[in-house]
Amino acid sequence: MPSTTDLEQFLITGLSLGGVYALSGVGMVVLYRATGVLYLAFGAVGAMGALISWQLSHQDGWNIWLSFVAAILFGGLITLVYGMIFGPALAGRDPLVKATATLGLLLILLGVMDLLWPSSGGASRALTIPTDNNTFQVGQISVTYTNVIALALGLLITIVTAAFLRFTKLGTAMRAMANDREITAALGVPVRRVEAAAWFGCGVLSGAAGVLLADLVALDSTSLTFLVIFTLAAALIARLRSIVVTFFAALVIGVIDAEITPINKISNYRDMTPFVLAVIALLVLNRRRVITVGRQGV
Amino acid sequence: MEPRSLVRPAVAVALVAFAFLFIPSIFSLYYVNAWTQVAIWSIVTLGLGVLVGRVGMVSLGQGAVLAMGAWVAARILFATGLPYPVVLLASGLITMVLGTLVGLPALRMSGLYLALITLMLAGAITIVLQNIQFPNGGHGFTGYNGATVHIPPIRRPSIATTDPAFFRYSVIVAVLMFVLVLVHLRGRPGRAWAAIRQSEAAALAGGINTTLYKLWAFALASFITGVAGGLVAGFYHYLNSLTFATSDSITLLAVVLMGGAYSMTGAVVAAFLLKFLQQLLNDWGVSPDWLTILFGIGVLQVLTTAPRGIVEQMPKDIARLARLVRGLFSRPASPQEHES
Repeated sequence: MPSTTDLEQFLITGLSLGGVYALSGVGMVVLYRATGVLYLAFGAVGAMGALISWQLSHQDGWNIWLSFVAAILFGGLITLVYGMIFGPALAGRDPLVKATATLGLLLILLGVMDLLWPSSGGASRALTIPTDNNTFQVGQISVTYTNVIALALGLLITIVTAAFLRFTKLGTAMRAMANDREITAALGVPVRRVEAAAWFGCGVLSGAAGVLLADLVALDSTSLTFLVIFTLAAALIARLRSIVVTFFAALVIGVIDAEITPINKISNYRDMTPFVLAVIALLVLNRRRVITVGRQGV
Repeated sequence: MEPRSLVRPAVAVALVAFAFLFIPSIFSLYYVNAWTQVAIWSIVTLGLGVLVGRVGMVSLGQGAVLAMGAWVAARILFATGLPYPVVLLASGLITMVLGTLVGLPALRMSGLYLALITLMLAGAITIVLQNIQFPNGGHGFTGYNGATVHIPPIRRPSIATTDPAFFRYSVIVAVLMFVLVLVHLRGRPGRAWAAIRQSEAAALAGGINTTLYKLWAFALASFITGVAGGLVAGFYHYLNSLTFATSDSITLLAVVLMGGAYSMTGAVVAAFLLKFLQQLLNDWGVSPDWLTILFGIGVLQVLTTAPRGIVEQMPKDIARLARLVRGLFSRPASPQEHES
């Protein structure tokens, strides 16, 4: 059995990863609620942002923090552009079609990343956030400031987003659109602008998540792209509705995934955690099912 | 039967017969193998096409289901001397059970959830296969012994050991699978699926057991994908976890949408896009990443402007082009037709 120190050390890893999944999940749920689009390209956009950041800081001599800003802006802009082009084009379609369309963006980005930064034959890349070197001790465990930032950012984004949706005009508009897009538009809410805000916000979060995950996990286009699965599981457990549930689900997924690492027998299988938890959640949540006849089918 | 309705099946039969008879003699061995892959993967795209086009369920895990089928077939082929068709049948059935079991919790929920669960399934299966590895002639449940040299190849059917013969074998199996699906589509399940695709609530009200028929579609798709997996095992001779990537499942959906999920021809077009283009670009020394980008653009294009895919869009586009060309030569231009 793993020692307590092991478990505590991996708890830190799990919490920081969970924090990143949480901020990603909040971004995805808010975008889904506001526009009906489940943004499956979230991970790919983050991955590309992280690779751009690596390119700028390690190859072109940019200041590392500036390169992170570039990654985050890239995430925001590409998501905004996608949303402005394909959001209206697919507005009246089924949520499934909207989600599938984002897979198109995922594939394009995956192809571009592999062309620009080939993964085979090249030296492995790494993106390190300088706060990795600043550590402090809690008991016997060392904690880096990156860990703290990841968890704190997840928590902060969740709280700020919740408050934003609750108390601001734009947030209220987003909640209204989640209920009914047409009525909201009829009431005089600038639907396009509200959607643009949601797209941009979600994209910014994907850029930030990309940089953090590149540091915490690995700078590799494929693995970063498919880390979106962890976030999806959290969002799915929250039934694509509640950002608070998303936050806690993300933390649980991150922690369970990390805590399995020192258990030799199943250590290699730990990344199945999101699948297993999501299936359990579906089985439990699936008690009462409604087939909606109206247009608000979820 | 109307004579008109016989034209399309006749053309299909003629094309398949032509491919069966002449492809091995026209093309070099490299491209014969490319066509073999088209035949095998057309079964996979057909399965996904049934789910997406007929029932309206999007599975993002068919690549993983294919990998599962290949694993099962390889294991049986190493463990027993059973005839190949029996192995194909067995891998189809086992894959069907496994695939259906995993899809079960999501089948009762809306389409988006099924897509998500199957995407996670694809990730999970990739992880499992990376860990237990593909059988390489070892003993025990996994059939993997860690050997890196002297690995025996996965056998092919005794009547189809050479590449051209294996091509013909794959075509026959593919045709059988297409017939199997056709029988389903023409019968009760096909009508039930069409009703479900239109409106699940209405189908339910009409007395259709929607869960049963959705499960049925999922089982059928898993079965034929498992059979295709058996062909994949024999085709490659050696399998490893790199043969199947998580992103394959997404590319599969992309080509199915591009080819046209609503028709059986679309499945062949999809397999052609996926496998033949890949081999062609490889032959020309062009990076396969361009193909990934193309598929991405294709998905967006299909979903926004041509929901029925290439098979239905191409004739329309060609007709439009012909009108355009005609218009250039014959002025004054004819009144514009309105085409959606």
